[in-house]
Formats: sequence, structure tokens, C-alpha cells
Amino acid sequence: MATSELPVDADSLRSEVRDKYRDVALEPGAEHHFHTGRFLARHLGYPAAWVDDVPEPVVESFAGVGDPFAMRRLEPGERIVDVGSGAGFDSFCAAWQVGDDGHVVGVDMTPEMLDKARRNAALVGADNVEFREGFAEQLPVADGWADVVISNGVINLCPDKHAAFTEIRRVLRPGGVLQFADIANGTPVPPGALREIDLWTG
Amino acid sequence: MLEEVGFVDVSYGNRIDTFAGAPGEEKARAYDVHGYTFMARKPD
Ligand SMILES: C[S@@+](CC[C@H](N)C(=O)[O-])C[C@H]1O[C@@H](n2cnc3c(N)ncnc32)[C@H](O)[C@@H]1O
Repeated sequence: MATSELPVDADSLRSEVRDKYRDVALEPGAEHHFHTGRFLARHLGYPAAWVDDVPEPVVESFAGVGDPFAMRRLEPGERIVDVGSGAGFDSFCAAWQVGDDGHVVGVDMTPEMLDKARRNAALVGADNVEFREGFAEQLPVADGWADVVISNGVINLCPDKHAAFTEIRRVLRPGGVLQFADIANGTPVPPGALREIDLWTG
Repeated sequence: MLEEVGFVDVSYGNRIDTFAGAPGEEKARAYDVHGYTFMARKPD
């Protein structure tokens, strides 16, 4: 991974990001500087049918920044990779769309998020979803496996976005689609502030 | 960057006021940070 020109140390950033999202997994009700949970899913415009009736643990650690399904709904039978799947809310929304003939692989680097996602899969009885430990920059998925890659609020946390997008391209089949939500800043962040780890972790 | 790594048909959706009312809203406003949705395709 080419990290020599990054404004922050990639390992420290990963470790800070893990700490932050460990908290979001274990203490979703604590104050975070971003919205979380069912309130957030509604705020971002997710359909009520996906949000209203899911058990609280399934949605309480949701920390997305937009609705990755807003521009295109998934189709039955599609194979999906959810990069930075957190506690799994988007992976389950994907699973409901692709149905029993489809399959969803969620990938995350934070063990507490993975544990919670796996418990949540059991809770909602999602048999077509699995969660794997890994990095966005090194996805544990075979070349060309996915019809669609989704992601929500994750690429902005990656110190090497070029590596993450290259990896996403690798796991997509030819003609496959990347649909994701993320944050972007309209005002340039000054170089000094770019080294503030806080600005990256959320 | 998406085109740089070989994606085509890159498009983006509506701007979303992701941080409205959140504790981090002030910092988000300072740098005009919003949520966006994006779509792109790997060529056939
Ligand atoms: C803002 S949360 C979003 C989680 C989920 N997509 C959602 O919408 O609720 C970011 C997630 O990405 C994971 N993450 C951040 N950087 C990552 C990386 N480089 N590789 C894998 N996972 C990463 C974190 O562990 C966390 O679970």
C-alpha cells in the first residue's frame, strides 16, 4: 500500500478508527459526534419498511452517512460485498433485496462490529449474509465475485482511498456496479488540520 | 479518483445534510461536509 505521502500515519489512523467504532458497537447510545441508529436511518431517508420493525440491536449501531440503495435498488440473485459493514444494517437491507438466491458478504476490520453483525444475522435469520474480517484495502473476496459493491461512510476513513477503490474494482465482475454513500467536504481542509486524527475518525 | 482506477459511468446523487443536529454539526459546517451517494461501473 502506498502510504508514504499520506498526511497521517495509516496504522495510527486504523487504530483510532477501530477504537471509535468499537465504542459505536458496544455503546451505541453514548454521545457520538455523528447521529446513529434508527433515528439516523430515518434521517437519511431509508424506507420505513426496512427501518421500523427491525429489532433494536440490528439498527442501533448503524452509522452510515447516506442511503447506498437510493440511486439503484439491488436485484434478486445479486452477489453483494458491503465494504465496512459495521453491525450489518446495510448488509441486511441488501439481503432482503437480493433474496434467497443472492448472497451478501460484509467486510469490516473492527472485531466488536463483526461480532455484533454475526449476532444480528442470527437475530433476523439472514442465511444469505456472512461477515468476514478484513480491510477495505485488502478485501477477503475472490476476483470478480461481486455483482455489486456497496459501502456507507467508510472510504472517507481509509487513508489510502486509491487502494480501496482498486480493491473494490478487483472484486467486481466486469460490468459490476459500485454504489456507495460517503462524506465529502466542499471547503478544503488546511494541511495542518489534515493531521488531526479526530477529523478522520468521524 | 474513481475514473483513475478504471471505473466508468460515474454519477452522484443528492447532497445529504448528514450531520444536521448532531454534536459534530459545527465542525461539519466549517468544512462544508455533507453526505453524497455515488455510483460507478466496472467496464465490461
Ligand atoms: C461509519 S461506520 C459505518 C458502518 C456501516 N457501513 C454502517 O453504515 O453502519 C465505518 C465502519 O467501517 C469500518 N472500517 C473503517 N475503515 C475500514 C477499513 N480500512 N477496512 C475495513 N473496515 C473499515 C469500521 O470498523 C466501521 O465499522
